[in-house]
Amino acid sequence: MKPNALDREFGMSQTIYGLLLRAYPPRHRAQYGAAMAQLFRDQCRDAWNESQTWGLCKLWLRILPDLACTSILERLAALRERKTMTEKLASLSAFRSTPAAIFAAVFVVVFLVVFTIGVAITFILPESYASTARIKVEMTQENSVGGASVNRVFSDPYFIQTTLEIMQSQLVLSNVIARLDLNTQWGRKYFNGETLKTTETMGILKQRMQLATVKNTKLITITVYSDDKNEAAVIANEIAASYRDYRANSEIYLRTQGLAVLLRECQTQEAQIHAAQSEVESLRQQLNIAKDATASQSAQEQPYWDKQRDLSQLRELHTLLCAKLEAKKLDAEMPQNNLVQLVDPAEPGRAPVKPNKTLNIVLGAVAGGFLGLIGGGFALLIAAQVGKRMTATPIAGGSGASGTSGMALHLNASPKASGFGVLFYGIGLALFLLGIALDFLTSVQPGTLLIGLSAAVLLTTALRMGHVKRW
Amino acid sequence: MAKPKTDPLSRLPLTPAVFHVLLALADGERHGYAIMQEVGATTDGQIKMGPGTLYGTIKRLLESQLIEESDERPDPHLDDERRRYYRLTGVGEQVVRAEARRYADMAALARGKKLIGKAALVAQPGGV
Repeated sequence: MKPNALDREFGMSQTIYGLLLRAYPPRHRAQYGAAMAQLFRDQCRDAWNESQTWGLCKLWLRILPDLACTSILERLAALRERKTMTEKLASLSAFRSTPAAIFAAVFVVVFLVVFTIGVAITFILPESYASTARIKVEMTQENSVGGASVNRVFSDPYFIQTTLEIMQSQLVLSNVIARLDLNTQWGRKYFNGETLKTTETMGILKQRMQLATVKNTKLITITVYSDDKNEAAVIANEIAASYRDYRANSEIYLRTQGLAVLLRECQTQEAQIHAAQSEVESLRQQLNIAKDATASQSAQEQPYWDKQRDLSQLRELHTLLCAKLEAKKLDAEMPQNNLVQLVDPAEPGRAPVKPNKTLNIVLGAVAGGFLGLIGGGFALLIAAQVGKRMTATPIAGGSGASGTSGMALHLNASPKASGFGVLFYGIGLALFLLGIALDFLTSVQPGTLLIGLSAAVLLTTALRMGHVKRW
Repeated sequence: MAKPKTDPLSRLPLTPAVFHVLLALADGERHGYAIMQEVGATTDGQIKMGPGTLYGTIKRLLESQLIEESDERPDPHLDDERRRYYRLTGVGEQVVRAEARRYADMAALARGKKLIGKAALVAQPGGV
């Protein structure tokens, strides 16, 4: 990296850390802010020398929880040092007196909350490995009737789609489940030893497998995800093997059925030939025609010669049928594995594919920034409304803007205390949006819990601020 | 500001962060970054203090008068003048010794119960 890029990364980190230092109480900041910033600079330098940008990322991951915890502790310690509730509230809201400060405070808190939740979820999520097997599938072939064996490929536009559906069907997957004993294995692993039904296991298996075609080829990829890299590879290979067996069995069944039909037809023809021969012989004797006589134009002998011609045609047809029967018998005896070939067997993955930690952390930061902006803007709106109301109706017992004595136990009793509520409004809204996003994206319980929590924060703040009257 | 207690034993046990900072200052005065490096080195990188933890600890140690700021510089030409150096006070030294003895007594107890051997004690980074 060029030196100016290095400086830029350092500068950005230090600027952000300088802003985050505002989370500490002013007194602590005045005493140790500069030293902390200098220590952070030194740590940045060490982290960069260790592993450059990734080192800085790791440093931030270590610094943020430290900053969040210690700033809260210092704030609580600062509260304990003060004498009255008025001073405590004034201290809490002192740095939020201007719109920019309100926005910055809400933004930083929301960003930290969202980012920390994102990072925590990333590291809590179980790791998932993927293994992919590739198979080559051929359409069913049929040898043509005749002397030369010509392959005629049935052109089925839905062949690949049908193949994909069959591979996900009970015909194939039930064999996979049975061979690997997944009902017991997964029951033991995920359901406290309870043996699963095949339909339940199949539902799980379908969620974990992914089939895809390779464009302009006859190849299909079978990808299986699992928390065990060996299990993923074994299942992917087993699906390929199970589908290959299914195709082979289907083909054998079809050919066996064809053989039976041909055999029956042959037997019928033989009976017909036998009957025709008897008839021809009978006619020959009736008409006194010699066995080695050649065809004549006599009208009396015509029925005999007609029957003789029919018999010859019947024999020719029978010969062809017998030839086809023999060819089919030969086909049926040949192995049918060439319909599906395992091109690339699945191997255990080296590294987990999910969760993508870098992407999730970046998304957490982006989502944190976005929600921080929304929360900050919302907080500004609320602050503006509170300001208007306080200007219009001064509160009895205090002087509004400057009064702090004997009245500040209620949060709506002073503009400084109102800042406290504004902050909570912003946090509540951001948490609410994050909960909705989590619910939509991951369908996990934390999303619903977060929505409930944020709704409680918003409602409590609204009650405390007097924006909603108690019922 | 908290009133300093005269009896070192009354301050025990110390939190791990406090003990490590006091241990780092036992060799002589250091600035914040040097303390952090010393803690990292003696614990084989297992404890990495952030600025918040380090200066929060330093603040409490200053308030309880276990350490004090030093105006002297070991070598003013080689160091940043803005850095603040800290050193142990007399009380601080007594407290860290008492805590070290407490750890040693506990280690001896564990050794007596054959939970650890002498080798394990020596091998532990930052072991007392």
